[in-house]
Amino acid sequence: MKVGILSLQGSFFDHQKSLDLVSLESLLIKTPEDLDKVDGIILPGGESTAMSKISSYNNLYKKLDTKIKQGLPTLSTCAGTIILAKSVIDGDTHIPNIDIEIQRNAYGRQNESFEADVKFLNNNDIYCFIRAPKIIRTLNNDVKVIATQIEDIVGVSQNNIVSLTYHPELTNDNYYLEWLLAFMKEGKYVGSF
Amino acid sequence: MKIESTFKVKKGLAEMLKGGVIMDVVNAEQAVVAEKSGAVAVMALERIPADIRADGGVARMSSVGVIQEVMDAVSIPVMAKARIGHFVEAQILESIGIDFIDESEVLTPADDVNHINKNNFKSPFVCGATGLGEASRRIAEGAAMIRTKGEAGTGNVIEAVKHMRTITNEINEVLTCDTNQLVALSKKFRAPLNVLEMIKELGKLPVVNFAAGGIATPADAALMMQLGCDGVFVGSGIFKSGDPAERAEAIVVATTNYNDPKVLADVSKGLGEPMVGINIDTLTEEEKLAKRGW
Repeated sequence: MKVGILSLQGSFFDHQKSLDLVSLESLLIKTPEDLDKVDGIILPGGESTAMSKISSYNNLYKKLDTKIKQGLPTLSTCAGTIILAKSVIDGDTHIPNIDIEIQRNAYGRQNESFEADVKFLNNNDIYCFIRAPKIIRTLNNDVKVIATQIEDIVGVSQNNIVSLTYHPELTNDNYYLEWLLAFMKEGKYVGSF
Repeated sequence: MKIESTFKVKKGLAEMLKGGVIMDVVNAEQAVVAEKSGAVAVMALERIPADIRADGGVARMSSVGVIQEVMDAVSIPVMAKARIGHFVEAQILESIGIDFIDESEVLTPADDVNHINKNNFKSPFVCGATGLGEASRRIAEGAAMIRTKGEAGTGNVIEAVKHMRTITNEINEVLTCDTNQLVALSKKFRAPLNVLEMIKELGKLPVVNFAAGGIATPADAALMMQLGCDGVFVGSGIFKSGDPAERAEAIVVATTNYNDPKVLADVSKGLGEPMVGINIDTLTEEEKLAKRGW
């Protein structure tokens, strides 16, 4: 199987490294045609405004939206999660696919960026939050909360999508990597992990 | 448990900017144009480098009012420049919550021996370099991001190319040497040994490296990306050109699709006048900004 990484801008090479570490083949996605060659997709962190502008050059988001709705296993981190959110406070929606309300730069500017302990499924580890967004609330019961940082929701899943607000690709701990492999292979949220 | 501003978090922001274009802006309106055109960050300045060069005199940190106006106008990260060695300008920028500080040779240096100890700050720093020694010294001082110096305000890419090639060649020298040679290389490049050891282990610089200084066209941006940069800074090239919004957008698309000449041809079409350039050999040694930094 081959996993695509949306590569318009952002930390796509870091996600490629994660996939390398679990021996999953990867492809950097820049055109709609590239999407036909992959069995899963990762939307990386970066700037959601820049990515959306760049995507409009070849209408990449339209096909990406279709593929996600058809059930392509989809992982998003940080800006990628803003791109998939159904509701964005003080910002535009892009390809709304996950029923959450999100706030951009919710913790403040870069000086308020931090590392913190996150509970992700059955594991705790320290991850980076960089000018991170915050999931303010889930919009219906189809959305499961799968990661928390104290009382904040920092990761959710819905059908074939897992969306996080932090950066597991900058930590690459074994639990995350094993989960990533299982998620891409199963094609959906791996809750019993 | 929550720890703010660790080196990982500082370096992490630079990682998120990769593959993107950072644009110089002098007011809120330009910042909005830059954001809408797909900039990943903006550099807030009172005067762009081409004007600093034309005006002469001492160039200092921009007025706090201008920087705050830009910070209020956009949702993307905002950077601002402090003079080399001027740690108080950096303290002021940090206190207003700037996202990245550029300790920049474009401004008149405040210290002719020392750079700022960037490890003392919560805000991340980007610094210019002309070779691996300079890049390594800045990293040892705490820089979370490196950029080539190029020759700012000239619209001439030759110096940025030279600096990028030099850094790449010198990294290759570190990667191919045997460990017995590392101390001699550290002496040759005037590069701290521990940074060279990191490079040898990682196979690359430990922080992100952007291109800057003289990039004026989509082709210039793509050239720097093909030479191995992680992203580009465009200073005078956008707002000194005929149609800034269109040029900004074209440079952004070119930076993502740097390996696709068909896309580059398409975005280069009908762009209007680029900024007027300056030939480097018409500059005196004192006029070359890249000479600043130690």
